[in-house]
This record gives sequence, C-alpha cells and structure tokens, in this order.
Amino acid sequence: MAKVEKKEVAAATPPWKPKPRPIVRLGIVLISHSLLVSVVCCTAGIVALFLLPMLAKNTYISENALMPGSASSMLSNHDISEAERLAKDLTSLNSGAADAGIERRRVLAKYLSDLGVEVGYHKFQSHQNQFHPLHFFSSPDSGLSQENGSCSSYGINVVGIIRAPQADGKEAIVLVTPFNFRKNSSSEALSISIGYAVFSLLSRVSWLAKDIIWLVADSQYGEYASVASWLRDYHIPVFSASSSHNADSCFEGNNINLLREESPGRTEISSGFRRAGTMAAALVLKVTDVKGQLEDTLSVYAEASNGQMPNLDLINVVNYLAVHRQGLRVKVEKFLSVLTWEWIWMLGDTLNFIGKVAGSLNPEWKFGISTPDYVEGTATLASSLYRQALGIPTGPHGAFRDFQVDAITLEISPKVVYTNQGRRNEFILRSARLIEGVVRSVNNLLEKFHQSFFLYLLTSPAKFVSVGVYMIGFALLVAPLPLVAASLYVDANKPEPSSQDPKQKLQINFKPWKWLSAAKQVFTVHAWGVFVSLLPYFISQIPNSTPAAHSIIWFSLSTFGLLVLYLITKSPSKPQKGKWENLKSVTISAVFIGLLLMSVVNFATAQIGALVLVPACLLAQPLKLDIRTASLKSFLRIATNVFISFVAFPPAGFFILKGVNEGFGNMDVGEFWTWLESLWAWNSATYIYIGMVHLPCWVLCLQILLHSC
Amino acid sequence: MPTANTQEENSKSELQKNHGGGGGFTRWAVVAVIFRLALIYFPGNLNLSSRPEVSTPLTSIRRLAEGYWLKQSSMSPYAGSMYHGSPLLLSVLGPLTVKRIEGQPGHILCSLVFVLADLISAILIRATGRKLQIAYRKSLKSLNLPNKSTDSGALSSGDIAALVYLWNPFTIVACVGLSTSPVENLFTILTLYGAATGLAPLAAFGWVMATHLSLYPAILIIPVILLLGYGPDAPPSKLFRSKEHGKVGDGKSSQEIIFSWRRAFHLLVWTSLWSVYVLVLCSISVKQHGSLQEMFQRTYGFILTVEDLSPNIGVLWYFFAEVFDFFRDFFLIVFHSNILFMILPLAIRLKHRPCFLAFVYIAISSMLKSYPSVGDSALYLGLLGLFLDELADMQFSFFLFCGYVGVSLLSPVMHNLWIWRGTGNANFYYATAMAYACFQIVLVVESVSSMLNHDRKLTKLSTSKLQK
Repeated sequence: MAKVEKKEVAAATPPWKPKPRPIVRLGIVLISHSLLVSVVCCTAGIVALFLLPMLAKNTYISENALMPGSASSMLSNHDISEAERLAKDLTSLNSGAADAGIERRRVLAKYLSDLGVEVGYHKFQSHQNQFHPLHFFSSPDSGLSQENGSCSSYGINVVGIIRAPQADGKEAIVLVTPFNFRKNSSSEALSISIGYAVFSLLSRVSWLAKDIIWLVADSQYGEYASVASWLRDYHIPVFSASSSHNADSCFEGNNINLLREESPGRTEISSGFRRAGTMAAALVLKVTDVKGQLEDTLSVYAEASNGQMPNLDLINVVNYLAVHRQGLRVKVEKFLSVLTWEWIWMLGDTLNFIGKVAGSLNPEWKFGISTPDYVEGTATLASSLYRQALGIPTGPHGAFRDFQVDAITLEISPKVVYTNQGRRNEFILRSARLIEGVVRSVNNLLEKFHQSFFLYLLTSPAKFVSVGVYMIGFALLVAPLPLVAASLYVDANKPEPSSQDPKQKLQINFKPWKWLSAAKQVFTVHAWGVFVSLLPYFISQIPNSTPAAHSIIWFSLSTFGLLVLYLITKSPSKPQKGKWENLKSVTISAVFIGLLLMSVVNFATAQIGALVLVPACLLAQPLKLDIRTASLKSFLRIATNVFISFVAFPPAGFFILKGVNEGFGNMDVGEFWTWLESLWAWNSATYIYIGMVHLPCWVLCLQILLHSC
Repeated sequence: MPTANTQEENSKSELQKNHGGGGGFTRWAVVAVIFRLALIYFPGNLNLSSRPEVSTPLTSIRRLAEGYWLKQSSMSPYAGSMYHGSPLLLSVLGPLTVKRIEGQPGHILCSLVFVLADLISAILIRATGRKLQIAYRKSLKSLNLPNKSTDSGALSSGDIAALVYLWNPFTIVACVGLSTSPVENLFTILTLYGAATGLAPLAAFGWVMATHLSLYPAILIIPVILLLGYGPDAPPSKLFRSKEHGKVGDGKSSQEIIFSWRRAFHLLVWTSLWSVYVLVLCSISVKQHGSLQEMFQRTYGFILTVEDLSPNIGVLWYFFAEVFDFFRDFFLIVFHSNILFMILPLAIRLKHRPCFLAFVYIAISSMLKSYPSVGDSALYLGLLGLFLDELADMQFSFFLFCGYVGVSLLSPVMHNLWIWRGTGNANFYYATAMAYACFQIVLVVESVSSMLNHDRKLTKLSTSKLQK
C-alpha cells in the first residue's frame, strides 16, 4: 500500500514545482524507469524463490516448556503385550460376519473400560461435502447443514478419555487412530496396538496435567469425515434434539442396541457424548505398509485446509524425538519428479559453487549448500507449496485446524511386514515411546502453542523457510504491479499541451475520472468471474451426468455469459474509445489487490498465481500496436503474449501440467471438473481465487491484447 | 412530510429537464431497492449482522432486540451494558424485532424499515443536490462565467450522489446487515436537506434527532447555521464584493451576501423546541425503569468513554485496550478534542460552502468516532457526490478507489485470520484499520484542497474577466 501511495504522489505532482520532497522524487524516478525496475524486480522475485531452499533455517524448539526427551520413557513390555492381545482379538474376529464391526467395537470398549477409563461411542452420519462459496468468511459452524442423510452411511467411533489426576480437566490432548471396524487389516491393527500401548500407560501415570482422549475413528467412510464429525459434535453442542434424533432413529433399525448392553469392564460405557477440555494438540497415528524401505520411517503430514499449518513446534518435537530418541527416519512429502530434473541439479551445482567461492572469500559467509541437499530441499519445497496451494488437507489432522487445534498426522511405516513377534514388539515399543514422548512434552505446555511459527514452508523435516523470508520473494514479484499501474495511469492522463492556458475557460472536463470507464469494464468482468464460480453449484445439481458433460455445460454457459455481458456493455462504451493504458492500469491494480489478499489467505496460491499473472499482466499490450511496428522485439512480445495467455487459461494450464507429469496419452475433459470439484468440496480458497481473480484477469489480458486502439 | 415535498419537486424538475436523467435515477433506485430486498431474502451464511465492520455496539440490531426484551420484562433497557442506543429507537424498532412473519426471514420488518430509510435518504440527497446545483449555476451566472457543468453527463450531481449512496456497497451492507446506521444517516441527511432548502424547523428536527441518535452530528450545527444564514454553497463572497466594486457604476447590490440572523434565530428556537420535545419523549419512555440521567450515561457516556473495546474498523479500540488506565482520561480528552480542534479553522476557511463543510465534518467524525462502521463511510461517500462539479479535478481518485476496495476486502480476511484461524493477531486487523484511516485522511485532505483550488480558479477567471 505504501508503495502505491508513493507512486501516486509522484503521479500527481504538478510539473512546475521546483523541488519536490525526496520521497516524491524517488517515486518519480521509479515510475519513469518502471520498465527497468519491473524487469529487475520480477527477476529478483523468481530468483529469490529458487534461493529459498538455501535460505532455509534449521528448526529449533522455541517453547521452553516443551522440554522434549527430558524424561525417560515409562513404557514397558507389559503394555505392549496387552496391546498385542487386543490386536489379536480384533483380527481374529471373522471379517465376513455381518456384526463383526459391532463385535470389534465391543472388544475394544471392553479393553478400554478394563483400563478404568471413560469409554463412549460416538455415532455420526457421513455428510457429503457441500459447496459453501462463502464458507471462508464465516465461522466454522455456520456452514454446517443438517440435512437428512440416508441411514445407510453411518459410522461409530469409539472414544476413550483419561481424566488427568493432577488437573481440573480444562485441557486435553487428542490421539486419533483411524480404524476400519469392518475390515481386517494388519497395519491398522498395528496402529491400534501402538495407540493402546500408549493409552494404557497414560491411564496409570501420575504426571498427566491434561486429559487424554483416544479417538478410534471409524474410517469406513474416510478418515477425515469421522474425525471431522466427532470434532463438530465436540465443539458445537446440539441443544435441539432434532439432528441427533435423526441419527439415532437410523441406529434403532440397525441393531445398534447390541452396543448398549451392560458394561463388561470396570467402568460403564456411556452412550452420551463425552467431552474433556479444550484441545492443546492432536496426533493422528497411522501405520502403512510401504515396500522397499531401508529403515523404519515416519512421514509427517501437516497441511490443513487452505494451506494452514500447525505450529512449527509440534513438528519440531516429533522430529526431535523421532530422530534423536527413537532412531526413526523422518520424512516429509516431496515431489520425486523434481529429483530427475537435470536443470535443478545444474542450478544446485551453480549455487554450490557460488557458496564455495563466497566461503573462500570470507569464511563468515556460510550460505553454501550441497547439491543433493539443494535438490531435495527444492523437491520438498515444491511439494509443500503445492499441498498448501491446493488447500486440501493432507489427512484427518486437517479437521482439527478448523477449530484452531494444532494437529499432525504421523504415518509410520515399518521396514518389512513383521512376522517375528519380537521384532514387531520392538517396532511397537519405538513408535509408542515416540507418542508417549510427544504427549509428555505437550502435557508440559502452560498455554496453547504460540511461540513458534504458523506461517512457514518446510524444505526438510528439520529445515523451514519462515514467512519473513518467503514474503520477500513474493513482494519483489508483485512490486512492479503498482509501479507499472501508476506509470500507465500517468501516461494515460497526461494533460494535453493545448489545455495549458487556463484563462480561456472553466475547465471541468472530468479528466481525472477517466479511469471510471475502465474500472467499470474491470468490474463487469469480475462480476462475470463471480457468476462463473457460482455456476458449478447449479450444474452439479443435474442428475445422471458425467464430469465431462458437466465441464462442457460449464464452459458453454460461461462463454455465453461473457458474450452477453460483452454485448450489453459494448454499446455505450464504444464511442468513448477507452484507452487501453487505462484498462491495463486498472487491471493491474485489480490483480495487485487480488494477489495481496490471496497472499494473506493462502500464500502458496498467491505465489504460484503471481508467477503466471504478473508476467501476463505486465507484458499485455494490444497486438495491433505490435503488428504495426513489426520489429523483432514486437514479434517476440507477440509470441510471449500468445504463449502466456494460452498457459494462463486455467483448463489449459491444468492439462499442460498434467501432461508434463503423467504424459499426454489419456486426457479426459472431465478431469478438470473433478479437480475443481475436489477444490470446492474442501472449501478451498484456491477455487475462489481461480474464479474471481485469475480467470477475470486472464479475460482482461485478452481484452487488452485484442484492443482496437 | 419531506418525501412528498421532494417527490413533488422531483417531478417538477423532471418536467423542466429534458434529458433522461430523472428516468435513469428512478430506474436505478428501483433496482437498488430490489437488490436489497433480494439480499434480505437470501441472507445465505454471510452473517453480516455479526460482522464488526457493520454493527457496532451502538448500531447492532441484536443489542436493540436485547434492550427491547429487557424493557418488556420490566427492566431498564440499559441494564447489563447491552443496549446503548436511543429509547425512541427502541420504542419504534423494538416491536419490529420480535414480530415474525411465517416463512419470512427474521427481522424482515426491520430490514424493510432500513431499506425505506435508505431510499428516503437517497431522495433527500438528490433534492439537496438539485438545490446546490441551482445555487452553483446562479452564482456562476452572476459572475458572468460560462456554465460548463451541463455537459458533464446525462445525470446531474444530485442524481449521481443519490445513486452513489444507494449503490455504495457500504450502504448496502449496512442496510442488509441490520445496523441502525441507515436511520442515523437519514436524520443527518434530513438536517442538510432542511438547511439547504431553508426550512429551519426541518433542519432543527433533523439535527436534534441525529444528535440524539449518535451524538457526533452535534457539530453539524455550525454548517447548518451557516447554510441557513448564507444560503447554499457559493464561491467566496470576496469575489462578489470585488465584482460589485468593479461594476460600481451599476449601483446594483442585490448580490451582496448578508448573514440572515432571523433564520439562525429561528433555527435556535426550533432546536430548543425539538430538544425539549425529544427529551420529554425519552423521559416518558425510560420513566418506568430508569431515568434520563441513566440514559445519558449509557448512551453519550458510553460513546465518550469508549467502554467497549471490541474490535471495529476505527482506531480507538486498540489504543484504549493498550493504554494504561492511569492515562485513560487524558487520552480520552485528547482524542475527542481532535474533532473539536478542527471545527473552527475549517468553519472559517469554508464558511462560504456550508454544505461542503458539513461533508468534511461528517468525514472527520466518522474517522475519529469511537465506534465507526461502514455505514458512516457510506454517508460521507454519498455526500461527496454532491460536489462532483467542484471536485471534478480531484487528484488521487483512482488511488483512493483502489485503497478503499483493497482495505474493505482485506479487513474481513485479517479478521478471519485473527479470530477464526488464530494464525494472525490483533495487529493484523488493526493494520487494516489504520490503512483505512489513512485513506480517509487522504480523501478529506484532497477533497478540501481541490475545493479550494476550484475557488481559486473561479477567482482567477472572474478577475481576468474584470480586467478585460
């Protein structure tokens, strides 16, 4: 904003003033050299993006209270053998039987109540994700719609709660283990074992200051849905009986009464909803079988909806304990395809070389990074950016973030599928000790996680780029926008030399308001963008049609809408013959505002969007002008413009990216629809960005290109 | 009966005018009303009425409903620091908040009242604009200057101002979001209209009501007195005098501008009459459960002492949340006298343009008031349109436009980041509030300086004419 101001101040300085203030002069210099400045800034912005893996800092534990690994583990082999007994009991049940799911829940509940903890069942209906275009601006609960779902899709979570002996029950730590009660899966049984081992230990310890909730989430309708619905019921109590009654009526028919028998264990199993205090943190624990690993690995997933991340301290604690205490290999997701790109390796070599040279000049300069580290960092950073930009949570932990609870998913994969009971026990011991250590650390917290970063990008499990660093690159990338907008605006509104003598007549010619017609045009196109982004809501109501048909309907309706708008607004604006400079200036301002907004909402989307939109907007110039001049420079500009405007068209960009990654062989028109549908089903702000910022700006750039000047 | 008056006038002037400005206005006004009704009917999940930008502790309809409930259950409506508005508003709007019509969204009757208030405000702005334009043309004619404003477009500045008021997103949001600011704005506009048309009783009524509802319009008494005394905006009186001086042979002194003490006196009499009337009504209304003193404490006292520190788009809440209690009184005085300090210099400099002076006062007070909302901005942005001819070559218009758009989009996002996501903090939101205040300052400064430039230009032109 400050920059715009500067520019505008300069734009408006009357020429006869002998010596304007220094800041104004700076502005005038910047605007008069806007071409040079924008080329330099854009290049610097892109370079800064590629330097990010080099600028990443090592993570450190910022909150002193956490004290990870300061206590020795109390987990014993007894806990593990108990846990293994539970796992055996669960897997030994015949999976073919109709009531195996209910039987498994009963077994689990019996074990839990034998521990002397509170046990409860949580019944839920899995809701189809709905399209809430305005969900982002409203509170989490307002988007909740209590429609009457069919009784077929219900699930039951099992919840165990340990009341902390030392505390008042105001706070809680949540452990989540997704488990499909209907299926027999050895890895899920393993995760139940780990969870139970930790839980049984925690039910005995005396140091607990926060309640522990263990949620065994029924994952038959997806892991996210069950966790999300439990969280919703936890945080938003239903006072009217109508909605819960609805779910209950379903269960009546489905012999759920089996669950309501007298408790076999020490404590009673309640059918009502059990709560503990506010959640300090949540850990989702999963075990997966991945073939061909050299050692036991732990994958950390942290991205929640709209690119929100949990507090970095949580990841730090997990990483510290896993690496330094349990000897697990910690991974975060990365794009493997980046590792095969030649030019990234070459870039890494170059940076390595520069770092070495700098190091030889002055040993204080230690910004060198080895080439493999750089490439790995880039691959991780790319994946981190992509996951955040999509705005789709990468696991059940995403549901917690909507309620401001820091949560991550820990996916542990053993080296081999253990057949030897001893090896298996050792694996469970290490995993359970990790969880125990994390719980113990979080238990020490006096307040919510707040010390460390919320806005960061990971380049490796132990390295991160904080907001203060990655924002510089983004700021450099978008800085030319207000500059060029101001310089175009000044060019377009230069006073004509003929009107210099004010004695002739009273000039009221509304010169400074000339931008209004351009603003009107920009506004109409953005209104069209809103229309286009709302269309899928209505199109998706059409029954029995394929994604391909949906996308074709959508495309044709949007084009039709654009044509209608064009015809409506064309007739009055034609005689004015608006200058394209004004249009471009207003377009660039709109893009600037949009990118700025998006960088606050979801930085990764804004960064990726800026890489496409900034060159598209800055280079746009009427093709007619370039054709008239017919020089090499103008020819180059035509080629770039045509290329960029092709790539910037969202479906085209999508298919090109997809083709590059997976080959152009099997393309389906419906894929784009499916992709967008996943975006809006998860209330991703990226969808709104594409519809209301990117697409209108693309149309406006096309209008500038085809302008008849 | 201001509506009947203005409508009559409108139809008359439409007859006088040959171009289609009037038709355009009616059409767009009807569309604006339909648009509001549509938004009321499909409120979606926007939750506008709970947005801090829209409803302040003073204007929130939920608080009003609470106050009404307290009153119905034989308690003082001001009990429990929920309601801080006028008891008269409570008696008028209160019953409407509880009345539900089957199958209609809640508070539909209140919404209709606010839509009506907006419409009447727009009509009044239009009538005021017409008065101002006639005065402007007359003064240009008497200075023998060519009238250039006719070719500015199909719509006159009054029409444009009214449409800007009706179509301003801020106005729409304040109206649909069920804040009482449309009603407050209506009385402020009524004051200006009454003063511009020379109706002292109407101006006095509007001023008393507006002051009663939101206190800050009290400073409008100066422009209203000037408006009634000198008549609508005109070029500096010096200009006429020098002109008379130049043409001394004519012996005509009809253009001499004299302050009409009679009208000012009328205004004062009517003001005191209306004030007594409003106070009596209020005391009747609060008699059972409280006293007038409690009312003053809970309304004006609440405004002046900035008790509620919940976030809003103003700049005071954060400051008073941070300041030590020890200094609180001192800073309260400093902040409130900010407005008062500006009154006198502006009044001296702009005394020949009382309407514009009123606009500047409103803009300044909506920037520095303790609980601002977008409804206040809607008012001054609408009034800005009245001076379209004079402010035609205002600088920074594009910059200000972008700034307003950017800030009004950024502010809810920052609020979301702070309140719902927890990744931001209060500074994020307060930064947008400060940016917003800066833009308002730039707007005021630029509009005043371009108005003064306009006056200078007129002076230059007329002196050069005289010298010829």
